[in-house]
Amino acid sequence: MKGLTTLILLCVSTISYATEQAEEIFKQLAPSLYQIRLIDIASGEKSSIGSGFQISADGLIATNYHVISGYARHPNKYTIEIFDHQGKKAPLTLQSVDVINDLALVKRAADSDMPFFKIAKRVPQKGEELYSLGNPHDLGMIVVPGTYNGLKNESFNDRIHFTGSVNSGMSGGPVVNKNAEVVGINVATSGNQIGFLVPHDKLLNLYQRYKTAKPKSIAAQMAQQLADNQDKLITTLLNSEWQMRPLGEGLIPVVNIPFIRCWGESNADKADAIVLAVVANCSLDENTYISNDFFTGSIEMEYRYMQAKELSDTKFYQIFERQLTQVMPGNKADKDDVTEFQCQHDIVTPSNQAITNKSVFCTRAYKDFPKLFDVLYIAISVDKGDQALLSHFTVAGVTQNSALKFTEKFMESISWK
Amino acid sequence: MEIIIEEITRAHKLIARHKFMHNHINIGRGYDNDIIMADPHICAQHLSLNFNGEHWVLNDEGSINGSFYDDEFSKTKSAVHQHIVRSGQVFMIGKSLVRIVFPDHPVPESVSFSPFENILTLTRHPIFLAVNILLFASVTGWLFNLHNPVEVNFTQLLVPAIGMTLLFALWPIGVALVSHLTKHDARFWGQLGICFVFYNLMWLSDFIENITSFNASSQSILSLLAAFLPIVLAFCLFWLNCQIGFHMTNRRRTVIASCMTLLLFGGSFLIQFSKKPEFSIRPTFNTTLMAPSYLFTHSNNVQSFLENSKALFNDAQEAALEDK
Repeated sequence: MKGLTTLILLCVSTISYATEQAEEIFKQLAPSLYQIRLIDIASGEKSSIGSGFQISADGLIATNYHVISGYARHPNKYTIEIFDHQGKKAPLTLQSVDVINDLALVKRAADSDMPFFKIAKRVPQKGEELYSLGNPHDLGMIVVPGTYNGLKNESFNDRIHFTGSVNSGMSGGPVVNKNAEVVGINVATSGNQIGFLVPHDKLLNLYQRYKTAKPKSIAAQMAQQLADNQDKLITTLLNSEWQMRPLGEGLIPVVNIPFIRCWGESNADKADAIVLAVVANCSLDENTYISNDFFTGSIEMEYRYMQAKELSDTKFYQIFERQLTQVMPGNKADKDDVTEFQCQHDIVTPSNQAITNKSVFCTRAYKDFPKLFDVLYIAISVDKGDQALLSHFTVAGVTQNSALKFTEKFMESISWK
Repeated sequence: MEIIIEEITRAHKLIARHKFMHNHINIGRGYDNDIIMADPHICAQHLSLNFNGEHWVLNDEGSINGSFYDDEFSKTKSAVHQHIVRSGQVFMIGKSLVRIVFPDHPVPESVSFSPFENILTLTRHPIFLAVNILLFASVTGWLFNLHNPVEVNFTQLLVPAIGMTLLFALWPIGVALVSHLTKHDARFWGQLGICFVFYNLMWLSDFIENITSFNASSQSILSLLAAFLPIVLAFCLFWLNCQIGFHMTNRRRTVIASCMTLLLFGGSFLIQFSKKPEFSIRPTFNTTLMAPSYLFTHSNNVQSFLENSKALFNDAQEAALEDK
């Protein structure tokens, strides 16, 4: 009994210690913590909110790109302002963005030196206690304790896996260690205590580049970042091992790299299906947010093997034709962001001579980011009577050169067993 | 003296033709006339026609509504009063028209049987007609099966096959009805025969179009050429419909057939065009896919396929710059 009481007492004291520490951190940091509001000029009301924190004495504030994306895309439609812990408002100007890591630097006018957050020098240890700060759902500034769980495995651009609730509105808020140093920035959630943070070194990079040279145009800066990132991604993909895996009687390439994840499905259990269909698709789990209805940076590959059961060849291909008409782009974008697709098709045999495909290649250009394209490819084998192999990919936001290189490798990889 | 009097419609189509051997003829509604008209606007004793040894003289017998003819000099309607008749002249009595013709009136040259007549005789032959309709129904049923994602049994195919055949038979029925109403020979079986021949030719042209677009790359103009085939066929069908059902000059027939082709294809193009959204996020390309046995073309290689793709990037980039 005595032991139990001691244990309970010990637990209570630990909890109260953690709470006290969180309170202490919050009190200390509150003056440099802000709510960031995107104000629609026409209506005068806020159109979206997020959090931000000051990182320099002269008024530089870090937040997420997606918090201020409306302003970055349509500077004439919105203004941005901050709302501090005392309820005071101040206007902000956009200084620099890192669209790949979802970061932005905004600036407020500062007459005198102001308190600011220090960015950590070291990476936290696994299991280390961290405190996420922000203003979820406009409910007021809060502090959420949680733990550092290392970097997310399947991610091309690093993200910290944080076990703790990150809610909308906390985006752009800092995550600090016990020494009140910033180790990450709230960026996304996967629900139930799974949160994702941008590592502090990305912010440090952006800040240092900003100090050396301020970007001339945000759009040009974004275009450059998008192009660089996709070129890096495509180069990584092309230099990785492409494993040939069987799919029915076909052989499909699967890029052996952790951030490309594959899933499969088939209708083998359906005895009455007139066609056996086996589907495999591989895709990049992340994409780049540009605005609410415009995402880029995605890559997806899909393969379908179909085999006719007691079906004439003509009807089998007629059924397949319908699959061609259902093809859709892999990323969300609309009329303001992209052109319509331009397509061409032909009967193509790769140099392995192992398959003959009807191949379709389509591309559309980005209106605001010159020389960036979305690419879509779909091919269906037309050399076997009762079997067909569909191979398809979409790549978003690539340069012509990268797109063609990737297409070539993809087209040359498909074959029959 | 011989004389011929024709009752004609306002469109100058013949209703009845009378030939007389005597020199005195009465026209009116009364039963004692030589020509008894039914038009209530005509009087019992309306007109008289007399041969005076040299000319035929027409005289109105004081009718209520009068009798008139087109005066060639004054270009107006003149009342008939002791009028000397010329061969072929048309007179208006009441609301009816009569034409007076002398026995020596010239007739147009005889029309020889056109080569089409022989084809028409063949197409309306019962066996040929039955085979054609059956072929059409089978193709319709087969296509229905082909476009259905699930397996279809024979009875399920019958409904669309018979339904479509009846629907397509409406066109020759309509044309025959119009020719009948315009006082032409209806020639229903002829119309039916020729229509189903062309419907089957349309299926054939569809098939050719599919094979062409399956085999041809997007750079090829062959598929564009194949798209003209149904237009040509439709023109020929309309032309033959006119040939069978109506008496008209070649020029008029061509104009009418062209107009109907334009209406059909122009109309369907307009409908498609109006349905096209201003902006579509879906890629559009020729999706035609056929079984390997229909593949006749030579395969391209990856390099030249990619080379062709380069042009698309330029097009897309230009479109992006234009829109900005």
